[in-house]
Formats: sequence, structure tokens, C-alpha cells
Amino acid sequence: MRPFDPRVLAVAPAARRPVALLAAVGVAQGAATIGTAFALAALVVAVVEGAGLGGPVAWLTGLLVVRAGLGWMSERVAAWAGVEVTAALRTVLLRRWLDAPAEQRPDPDRGATLSAQGVAAIEPYAARFLPALVAGAVVPVLAVAALVWVDWLSALVVVLTLPLLPLFAALIGAATRDETEKRWAALSSLAGHFVDVMRGLPTLVGYGRAERQVEVITDVSHRHRRATMRTLRLAFMSSAALELLASISVAIVAVTVGLRLTHGTVTLQTGLLAILLAPEAYWPIRRVGAEFHNAADGAEAVAAVLADVTTDPAPPARGPSSPSGPDELGAAARAVTYAYPGAPDPVLHGVDLEAGPGLTVVTGPSGVGKSTLLELLAGLRTPSSGEVVAGRAHLVTQRPFLPAGTLRDALRLGTDAPDAALWEALRRVGLEGFVAGLPEALGTRLGDDGVGLSAGQRARVALARATLSSTPVLLVDEPTAHLDAESSTLVADLLRDLAERRTVVAVTHRPELVRVADQHVVLTRAGAEVHP
Amino acid sequence: MSAGPVVRPTRATVVGGLLGGAATSAGIALTATSGWLIVRASERPVILTLLAAIVAVRAFGMARPFFRYLERVVSHDAALADLAERRSSVYAALVPLTPARLGRRSRSQVLTGVVDDLTDVVEAQVRVTVPVLSSAVAGLLATALTAWFAPAVGLVVAALLLVLALGCLLAWRVESRSRDELLAARAETARIGDLVARQAGELRAIGAQDAALGWLDDAHAALRVAVRRQSRGRAGVAALILLATAAATVSAAVLVDPSAVGAPVAALLVLVPVAVGEALAPLVDTMRALARAQGSSARLDALLDQEPAVHDPDHPDPGPGVGPQHGPHVRLEGASASWTGAADQLAPTDLDLVPGRHVAVVGPNGSGKSTLLALLARTLDVSGGRHTVDGTDVRARPLAEVRSDVAVVDDEPHVFATTLAENLRLARPGADDAAVRHALGLAGLGTWADALPDGLATRLGTGGRGLSGGERTRLGVARAVLADRPVVLLDEPAAHLDHPTATAVLDDVLDATRDRSVVLVSHRAEALHRLDAVLDLGDRPASPTTKE
Repeated sequence: MRPFDPRVLAVAPAARRPVALLAAVGVAQGAATIGTAFALAALVVAVVEGAGLGGPVAWLTGLLVVRAGLGWMSERVAAWAGVEVTAALRTVLLRRWLDAPAEQRPDPDRGATLSAQGVAAIEPYAARFLPALVAGAVVPVLAVAALVWVDWLSALVVVLTLPLLPLFAALIGAATRDETEKRWAALSSLAGHFVDVMRGLPTLVGYGRAERQVEVITDVSHRHRRATMRTLRLAFMSSAALELLASISVAIVAVTVGLRLTHGTVTLQTGLLAILLAPEAYWPIRRVGAEFHNAADGAEAVAAVLADVTTDPAPPARGPSSPSGPDELGAAARAVTYAYPGAPDPVLHGVDLEAGPGLTVVTGPSGVGKSTLLELLAGLRTPSSGEVVAGRAHLVTQRPFLPAGTLRDALRLGTDAPDAALWEALRRVGLEGFVAGLPEALGTRLGDDGVGLSAGQRARVALARATLSSTPVLLVDEPTAHLDAESSTLVADLLRDLAERRTVVAVTHRPELVRVADQHVVLTRAGAEVHP
Repeated sequence: MSAGPVVRPTRATVVGGLLGGAATSAGIALTATSGWLIVRASERPVILTLLAAIVAVRAFGMARPFFRYLERVVSHDAALADLAERRSSVYAALVPLTPARLGRRSRSQVLTGVVDDLTDVVEAQVRVTVPVLSSAVAGLLATALTAWFAPAVGLVVAALLLVLALGCLLAWRVESRSRDELLAARAETARIGDLVARQAGELRAIGAQDAALGWLDDAHAALRVAVRRQSRGRAGVAALILLATAAATVSAAVLVDPSAVGAPVAALLVLVPVAVGEALAPLVDTMRALARAQGSSARLDALLDQEPAVHDPDHPDPGPGVGPQHGPHVRLEGASASWTGAADQLAPTDLDLVPGRHVAVVGPNGSGKSTLLALLARTLDVSGGRHTVDGTDVRARPLAEVRSDVAVVDDEPHVFATTLAENLRLARPGADDAAVRHALGLAGLGTWADALPDGLATRLGTGGRGLSGGERTRLGVARAVLADRPVVLLDEPAAHLDHPTATAVLDDVLDATRDRSVVLVSHRAEALHRLDAVLDLGDRPASPTTKE
């Protein structure tokens, strides 16, 4: 895990500007902070010596006003950077998943966790940790540089003690690493227990096992408390040790300055500056450590996203929008073999299929890989061997995706067709009357907070959407599975009609489609054969 | 759970606050005494007279990390103790509300939300009480000290504290106002992320990639607006505090009279406002924790203040007490039901579930399929009509007894982070390995379980072995089989599975439950031919049409 991986900026160019501005504001803030120390020292000297306050007051006020402005900007820019970095990384991640064939996408649960909670953790990382990192890199350098100029002896003390901070941190870390790792493993399982029991609560209630968990939760929570406190004590102790180290270093500066002042070898101005500047060299470094602790989740998520988006797809991805032959009118599979990732045996073995304009119907026993074949033709999967050559395709799956929203949203998905076209499409699948009878017609919401569609209605909405698409190839998986005889005939006629101008490949187990097909392909374990 | 402020000081948080106050005060004192020391030294006194100040500087330098350490240990321990206590009480309060009052979809998300909300509320006890108290202690000490030397400067420091308090109030208002909007915007981006992660294939199939990215852009745009609005408030407060520090420092410099208090004290008085401003500015951040906790607490209260959907009867009727040899005879007569008490989600329905009968329930979304199962699982009461088991109204019988006849398999069975055997055994504690293996075999997981590296002792769930959708569903079925309950309710067990897996799973499920009563809610037509009757809730009036 790195504090900041510059690949973020290469992968997510939208994050460059806010991050650059963040760094610039951070540098300016550092400079203003150092300036404030000078003005404050001058002010104290003026007060003590009874000199005119005008100059120092003006300087201090001016600098603090500038710092107020920078503080204002820094909050704004940090928030902006937080959103932009998060948004850019999430967009890159989702774009990749939308472009990648199934084999190159992560498991849905893992993917969902990464894109939702994982990426969200990047926001505080960018908004809080990155500014701290900039300050940690800039302010100590400026402070030491100023000290060298003001009082080289104090600078020497700081330069000699400053490296002790990371050294000390590393030593403490090394000494406690094994112990800490052992505890973290135990800790995360204790910490996860409550979430696990909570998520399983419906199951526990269902089997009458919920009540007895109350005691278990109390017990595990207290064990978690004891284990956490052991770990935390160590962490707090090491952070206290670092603070003590910084305090002692500043005290050394103060005492040497004090002694030299009593001998008159330095001026009051110099002495004050030295004790005001010295702490500025230490605290930003300690803050980086503290903020990194809070931002660790975000840094981990950044690493996970980068790992996902920078893996080179082994064979270049071929999406339905960028197929091997975009202007291809047909769809062909040549000696295609396909095995699911992790599966020992291929589901398809040496399948040949040549579909040109017209209606091709594919039948075959359950589990023989008919749906998988359609997904291969659509470019949603990449063959393990052999090749697929197909034009842009629209695939109506068995569980077509309908978004949360109105019926209009569902139909326009992927095409943005006007209402007139939507009505025409609904007419062709025999849903015109049903939709016209809905309270808000095309504007009716679907799903839990709206009207419920039966499986057959969902299938027909998906078919209506398919008629709106302009792809040369149309692939349909079991289009009549949920339909009664009358609707099935309607759908058969519709597919027949669409096949006049497009390549239509339909998987079915029903005879009415086979009867109207131009080509009938039977898929078996051995391969595909064309029936006359 | 409800009523009263979200953040209530306890003994431990007060002690933590006082320790934190000591640490913060030591920090301010360190700056002040250092300034005094330097100025006094420049007057070139005898070194001995400086010794006291040198010791003080060192003492304050060491006291700050020391007290900070104590404060952190005390307050974190208090938070964890509080968390332990609240977790068990919230969990216990949720048990009677589960599942009917957890919403009808994505209950595991609701429950994860409870975990997060609870953490927010508990964190606020420490992240608000302790810094507020520490700041108050340190601020008042600084005011008292400066007022003792120069009352006018004391007033200046008091005014600075007032501005800081005002800043906190402002920050709290900004955070509270933007909180819900931000939360909604974040939830929307998470929803789209989740959607694409799970449905990328379906979206690609219909060429909707650009539409999906468009939704993401919209969600991000809303998030940008919300974050910008929130940051405006925070930025204003950050600037305000620096301006107030400037004003206080300049006022102190003008007001202080070195001839009256001496040069070293004059330096101290000028430096204190700066030190106070720097030490107390982080206080503003605590307001975010407070605002968040208030939102979380309100959500928790809304959830926990609900009435359970079902109650145990006051005078339970033990029922006919027939042995389980033939299973209960469950009947619904004109039964309707509602989750909320408002409109019915299930219109009056008849169902006659004689022991051993397999009934499928079909119908469009929203026709009441899940509601029907909730009635049968005794997690919801009828709002009209009758629900009887062996002729007795279920409401007259003890909840646990009626429920113990029923096993539910839903579309997302939870896999606990424990061994495979324990994951099954929760359905029937004390079941031996042979029984567990038998159940796995019937659910179609026999070969899978045999192939596992540690067999039944293989750890599953978080941190353990992952399961595919089909394996998860089968695990739920195996639990139901092991539980050996006469009635099995299947709520779209195959909803998330691809076609061949779904068919295979449904076949195995129906084989495994051959001698039990089964109610299967399904969207799919595939397995329906294997059932005795189909109840179509979309086709009113509802009554099962027996085939043949």
C-alpha cells in the first residue's frame, strides 16, 4: 500500500486538476504559516520593546487574512478533489466492466463491494489525507529552510532530530509488527461477527435461534473491546512517544536559544522565531501518520481499483459495440469452444454456426449451452478457442434488465427513441392496449413503487425494446417461454418480420418458431448441426 | 432508545474530556511559557532564575503527550464498552421486528445500515463529548490565566472562545442541513456502482453502456453539488476562526502594557490567543460527527420504535397437539394481509395446504406472493379472513410453536462466517455429521462438500470460502432439509441464477422436499409442471387451480 500512487492521475485524468490545485494551496498554506511565525515574532518583539505596532500588526493581520483565504480555499478544493478523484476512479472502473467480456469482470459480490463501499472510502482519502501529505512534505522543508536562514544552530538541532521521527516510528512498527498482525487477524474476525450476525438475523429468526445470540454478541463485543484496547494502547503509546520526541526536540531548541540569549549571542527576534518555527517542522509529519491511519481503507481501495483497471485483458476485449466486423450483417461462430472460468469441462465444444439475414432458430436439450452461444455471438463472452465474427448485436436475455423508473425509461434504454416509436414497438408485441390502460401510460413507474409486470409482460417489453434497436444482429433467448399461445404466435410473426432485414437468432424449445425459421440449428453435446 | 439528546456525557467520557483538557492546556501553556522564557532570557538575568521556567517548559512538553495518551485510552475504552452494550440491546430489540418490520426488500442492507448507524452514534459519544469538554477546560483555563495578568486580554480570549463556539454552531447547522442530501447522493452513486457490478452483462447485451455511464454521471453531478454546498459552510468556518485569531492577537498586542506586567508576561499574553486558536480549531470537525450521529440516531429510533408485526397470544392455545407424523394442515380462507397496516398487499386469498402438497404461487410483481409467504411463515398476521393450522386460528397459538413447523428458503440465504457444518446446524442444533451430510446430498451439494479441502469443517462466509449463487441457494435448501420441518416455503429460490442452474436447483429442491408441504413462489415456468397446484395471484379471484 503506497501513500499516493501517481498512476491514479494517469488512470483518472479528471483528478489531475483538483489534485494539482490541492498541492498548490498546500504549498501556499505552508509558506503563509512560516510567514505568520515571522510576523508573530516581530509583533511580540514590538510589544516587548514598546516599539510601534503598526508594521507587525499589518503584517500579521495581512498574513492571517491570507491564511483565512487559503484555509477557505483548501476546504473547498479538498472537498472538490475528494469528489473528483472518487468519481473519476468509479467511472473508469464501471466503464471497464461495461466494456469487458464476462470472463474479465470480477465476481459480482466483490465488484459490488469495490464499486460501492470501496470507492466511497477514497473520498476521505483524497479530501483529508492528500492535503496532510502535501503539508507533511512542504511545511517541514520550509520551516527548516527558514531556520537555517534565521539561526543555523537551531536548524541543526531540528535537522538532527527530525529523522528520528520516522526512524522511531519504523522501529516501533518493526518491534510490534508480528504482534500487531496477529491481533489484526483476530480483531477483524471479532469486528465482523456483529455484522455477520445482523445480516443473518432473518435466518436466525426463521430457525428460532435469534434470542440466544444476545449473550454471544455481548461476549464477543467485550472480547473485541479487550483485543482492540490492547492494539490501541500500543498505537497510542507509539504516537505519544513520537510526540514526546518532538516536544523534547523543541525543548532542546528552546533551551539552547535561551542560554544563548542570556549570553547575548542572539537577538530576541531570532530566539522567538526559532521556537515558533521549530514545532512547524514536526507536527505535519505526525499528522501524516495519523491521517494515513484513517485513510488506510481509501488507499487500499485505490490499489484495488488500479489493479482492476490496469490489468491488460489477455485477448483484446471485443464488445458488441466494437465487434470484429462492425458492419458485418451476419453472425458466425467457427469451431468455438467455451469453458466457464474455473470449470474443468467446456460447455460448448467445436460449435460452428453461420447465420445470415433471416431467422435462425437454435434448439437443443437443457444445459447444452444455447444461452452461452448467444452470449458469445453478442460478444459478452470470449471463446476459449475458435472465433466469433458478428455485427453489432442486441441480445434479449431470459432475465432482461429493466431499470428502476418508468416504462418509457425501460423502452428507451440504449436507443433514446421518441414516444411514437415506443408506441409502435408496443403495438408489435401486443402490449399497446395494456400500456394505454395504465394510469400514466408510458410514464408509469415499474417495480415495487409502481405497476408489477408479469414474466410474460417483462419479456414482451424487452422484445419491444429490441425492435427499437438498430443493430444488424438480433439475438433472442427463449422469447416465448412465458407467453400464452396467442402471444407466442404474435412474437413468432414479429421475429419473422424483423428477419426480413436483419439477422435474427432465436433460442427456443417451442415448435411455433421452428416452423417459421429459415434455418434450424440443433445444438448437442457434440456440436451444432443444421436441420433442413 | 429514543428521546433525549444523542450525545449524553457519561462518567468515562467526562474523565476523558478532563484528561483531554489537561493535554490541550499543556499545549497552550507550552507555547506561552516558551515565549515567556525567551523574552525573560533576552533580559539576560542570572541563569538560575530561568530554571523554574525551563522546568515548566519541559513539564508541559511531556505532560501533553502523557495526558493525550491517557485521554485516548480512557475514551476509546469507554466507546467500545458503550458499543458492546448498545449492540446487544439493539440486536435484542430487532429480534421481534424481524423480518416483517425491516422493509420488504434488501433486508440485509437495512441490517448493515443499523450496524453503521450504531457505530456513528457510539463514536459521537467520544468524538463529540471529549473534544468539547477538553476545549472548554483549556479555553477557560487560558481565559483565567490571561485575565489574572490583564483582565482586558482575558476578555479578548473569552471573545475568541465565543467566536469558536459560534463557529461550531454554524458548522453543526451546515452539516445537519447538507447531511441528508449528501447521504442520498452517496447512496445513489453506490446504487449505480452496485447495479453495474451485478448487471454489466445485461447492460452490454442491450447496448446500454452509455446510458449506465450517463446515470453514473448524473449521480456524480448530484454528489458534486451536495459536497460543494457542504464544503462552503466548512470553508467559511475555517476562515472565520483564522480571522478571529488574527483579531484576538492584534487586540491583545494593542491592549497589553509591558510596563505594567513586564516584558515576558506581555509576550505570553500576545502568544496565548494564537495558541488557543490553533489548539481549539479542530473542534469544528467534531460537529460533523455530531450531525451524523443525530441522523443515524433518528433512523435507528424510527426502526426500533415500530410495533412488532406479530405477537404471542396472552393465553396461548397449545393446539391439538397431534404429533408431527403427518404434518400440519394449513389453510387460508379469504386471507388478506398488509405490511404497513394501510393498503393490503395481498387481496383475499384461499389456500388449502394439506400435508405433503406442493403448491406454486405465481403472479406479477406486487401481486402479493411474498406477502402470502410471510403469512404462512407467521411473520405477518392476516388483516382479514382466516389463517388456521389444523383448524386452530394461528393467532391463538404460541409464535415459536407455529414457526417451528416452517422452514423458509429465500433468494439470498445468509452464509455465516463459520464452518459449513455450523452453517447448517443452526437449523437443527445437535444434528450429527451424518445428518448434515445427508441434507447436503439432498440439496445437491454432496459432491461439492466432499471436494472441499476441509470437508464439513471448511470455513465459509466472510474471510472464508466464497460460494456461487447456486451453491448459496442450495445451502439454504440444505438448512431447510436438515431442520426437518413439515412445511417448506421457497421464496424465488432461483431468482438470481442462470437458466440451467435454476432448473437444476429447482429439480433438486423439489426432490429433497418430496414428503413435505411446499409452497414455491416463482417467476419461472420451468418447474411448475412438477407441482400439484398453481396459485396465480395475478388472476383474481384467487383460488388454486388444481391441474388435471
